[in-house]
Amino acid sequence: MGSSSKKYKDKDSRKRRHEDDYEGDAPKDKRHKHKKHHHKDKKRDKSSKHSFDDKSRSNASDDPDIVEIIEDPPQPPPKPHSVSSRPRESPPQNVESLSIEETNKLRAKLGLKPLDVGSGASSSSTGSTDKKNNDELKKDEWGEFYHKPAENLIKKAEQEKLRAKLLEAKEKRQINQKLKKTKTLGESDEEDDIVAWVSKNRKIEQEKREAEKRAKMLEELDAQFGIGEVVQSEQRERMRQKYTEKDLKGITVQHDIDTISEEHDVILTLKDKGVLEEDEDVLVNVNMLDDERYKKNIENKKKKITYNPYQDDEFDEFGNPKEKSLLSKYDEEIDGEKRESFKIGYDNAVIRKKIATESIKEKLAKKTLESIGEKQLTIASEYYNEEELAKFKKPKKKVRKIRSKGKLLTEDEIKPDNYGIESIGSRRPKKNEIDYDIDDVPSVDVPQDIKLEVDKDDILEQALHKARTIKQKENVIADLIKTEIKTEPEEENVDAGNIVLNATAEFCRTLGDIPTYGKAGNREEVDDMMDFEKDIEQDEKSDEDDCTIIEPSGWNSVDPTNQGIDSTQILPQETPILDEEPDVSTGVGAALKLAMSKGYLDKEMNNRPCNSRLAHLQAKHYSIEDKSYGDDGDGRGRRERYMGPVTEFKEKDTFKPNVKLEYIDDEGRVLNSKEAFRYLSHKFHGKGPGKNKIEKRIKKSTQEQLMKKMSSTDTPLGTLNMLQQKQKETQSAYVVLSGNKQAQSTALSKTRR
Amino acid sequence: MIEITCNDRLGKKVRVKCNPDDTVGDLKKLIAAQTGTRWDKIVLKKWYTTFKDHIQLQDYEIHDGMNIELYYQ
Repeated sequence: MGSSSKKYKDKDSRKRRHEDDYEGDAPKDKRHKHKKHHHKDKKRDKSSKHSFDDKSRSNASDDPDIVEIIEDPPQPPPKPHSVSSRPRESPPQNVESLSIEETNKLRAKLGLKPLDVGSGASSSSTGSTDKKNNDELKKDEWGEFYHKPAENLIKKAEQEKLRAKLLEAKEKRQINQKLKKTKTLGESDEEDDIVAWVSKNRKIEQEKREAEKRAKMLEELDAQFGIGEVVQSEQRERMRQKYTEKDLKGITVQHDIDTISEEHDVILTLKDKGVLEEDEDVLVNVNMLDDERYKKNIENKKKKITYNPYQDDEFDEFGNPKEKSLLSKYDEEIDGEKRESFKIGYDNAVIRKKIATESIKEKLAKKTLESIGEKQLTIASEYYNEEELAKFKKPKKKVRKIRSKGKLLTEDEIKPDNYGIESIGSRRPKKNEIDYDIDDVPSVDVPQDIKLEVDKDDILEQALHKARTIKQKENVIADLIKTEIKTEPEEENVDAGNIVLNATAEFCRTLGDIPTYGKAGNREEVDDMMDFEKDIEQDEKSDEDDCTIIEPSGWNSVDPTNQGIDSTQILPQETPILDEEPDVSTGVGAALKLAMSKGYLDKEMNNRPCNSRLAHLQAKHYSIEDKSYGDDGDGRGRRERYMGPVTEFKEKDTFKPNVKLEYIDDEGRVLNSKEAFRYLSHKFHGKGPGKNKIEKRIKKSTQEQLMKKMSSTDTPLGTLNMLQQKQKETQSAYVVLSGNKQAQSTALSKTRR
Repeated sequence: MIEITCNDRLGKKVRVKCNPDDTVGDLKKLIAAQTGTRWDKIVLKKWYTTFKDHIQLQDYEIHDGMNIELYYQ
């Protein structure tokens, strides 16, 4: 700034002068320019104000800061003596600088070394050229140091290559020189010369001879001095001391003798042992030891089963079974490892082999030999020949005969009982069987076949037979009883004046006149039965021993005339709510009725064929696909097939079939629609119901059957029967339910049984 | 020998001849002799680096003909 301001100063002064010159004539012009150079004018004014100050103060600048500084210094700055030399009015740069001499003087005053004149001289004008060059090497014209030029990589690589080439060539030369020393086959011409060769050989022979001579001479000399004997004795001594096979005898080798093969040499070394141990020396082979260790490691890795009771006995090398000690697996751990060993010289291989062969022979002697080649191969026949048939026996034959006899016996026992009652159907098949047995006896050939058949299902036969005999016995007894019962009641029924006594009715009568009560009782049938029994006893007390019926007393001794009225009053009213239990003895029909009512039989069940029962009748190769309509001769379309006949069947007008769809399951039960659907669906999907569902259904069905079988006249526990019996016993119309008569009730139960 | 231009931009501009191995302090004394300010009031700067008195010019890489800013403290 300072410099610029100074320039302005100069300009100002010049301009001022100029203005002074044209002060009078150019006010317009000034005014005209005023707009343009407004700023300039301002400055000019400002500078004009300070113009005097500037001149008075030589050094100070017009900036206020600097002014302060100038005022500030307490000491006036040391007046530079170079002021005079300073080019005050020097060119526009206005730079103060001293000459070299002046600066040197100044430096001397300041205590500094003088300037480097050489460099300064060079810069100024004429100096020594070499110095200048030296300086230029380091620095450029701006004083900057020269940089080392970058390495040329390509050149370097080329140099390397060249160097390598040179080295290679050098080596080649060296090798060639080396090789030149030996002669090649082609080159060795000298040897071909016979004369030279002969002479050479002669030379060698001569040299040998001379050497021998020299040796002899030396020996003679030794002999003369007695050295030879000494040497010989020494040698002998040495031989004696030598360790030979003899010394090895008796030393144990800790390997199995079989592992050391005869073909190869095996180097054995003394086994390591403690210094203080006094065991005998043992020879081992290091490699074989390693092998053994390796084998053992593998064994350990295998993790054998430690306990195997079914294991076959181990055999030693000759095939004799080894004895096993208890917990043999721990033997190694307790006793230490057991190792095979042999002693050199003691173990003779020849003897060993002999032993082995002998043992094998012994073993062979024990066994029977079987040759492989002798037997001729024959084609196996499908049938037995006579010899084989003779061999082939059926052990069951005899057993069966005994059994048949037994069966006959049992039937014989039964027979006499059956004679009286021939009307019973169930007996018939048995008769046939007996006949068949009788027929069976005379023939010789036939029985074999039959017996075979019988054998197959003799268990079934036995079971059936047993059931039959039991049934027969029952039937006999029942028939005996029934025939006796049958005859009497009819006689009684004929009797008009007979009195029917009804315990309940009597009971009710005594209680009061409640006729409905009597009617409602469902015990009448039982009462009827009891009446029957009573009558039987009255008539045939002496005959029957089996039937033990307690005699009720009292009621039958009542006056018949009095009773007659009552009975006539009550009897017609006696219509039991439940159906009367039909009498089985009256005939097959009655029995069937009873069975039906009890649920033993179902009406349709008899006729209905069961699926499973008739399975064998169904066509085996029948399938629904057989019904294919693909080639129907009607010529009708597929769609029309289902539309039915076009015209109605007039001739079949009256035909109104009663179609009833019924579904039967595998057990032959009729299914309702729901069950049928389920059944079909299971069949269709091929997936049955779960186990629980099946169980549930079975339970339900069994319960149903039980319900059917349940006595319709009594509670399941037979309490009514008991009550009546009790009443009979006590001959009272009531039963005391209090606890003090418990003994009696137990007695009652006993009698029931 | 190198010649350095020092300018305070307030009207003082001096060219000083000196050796490259002179210290900054020496340079300051030389400047003081030429300008008339006391040397210990002079601060030499180049941008924001203030040159310290005890360091040689060549270490600051001050070469011939360089401009150095001149301040006062």
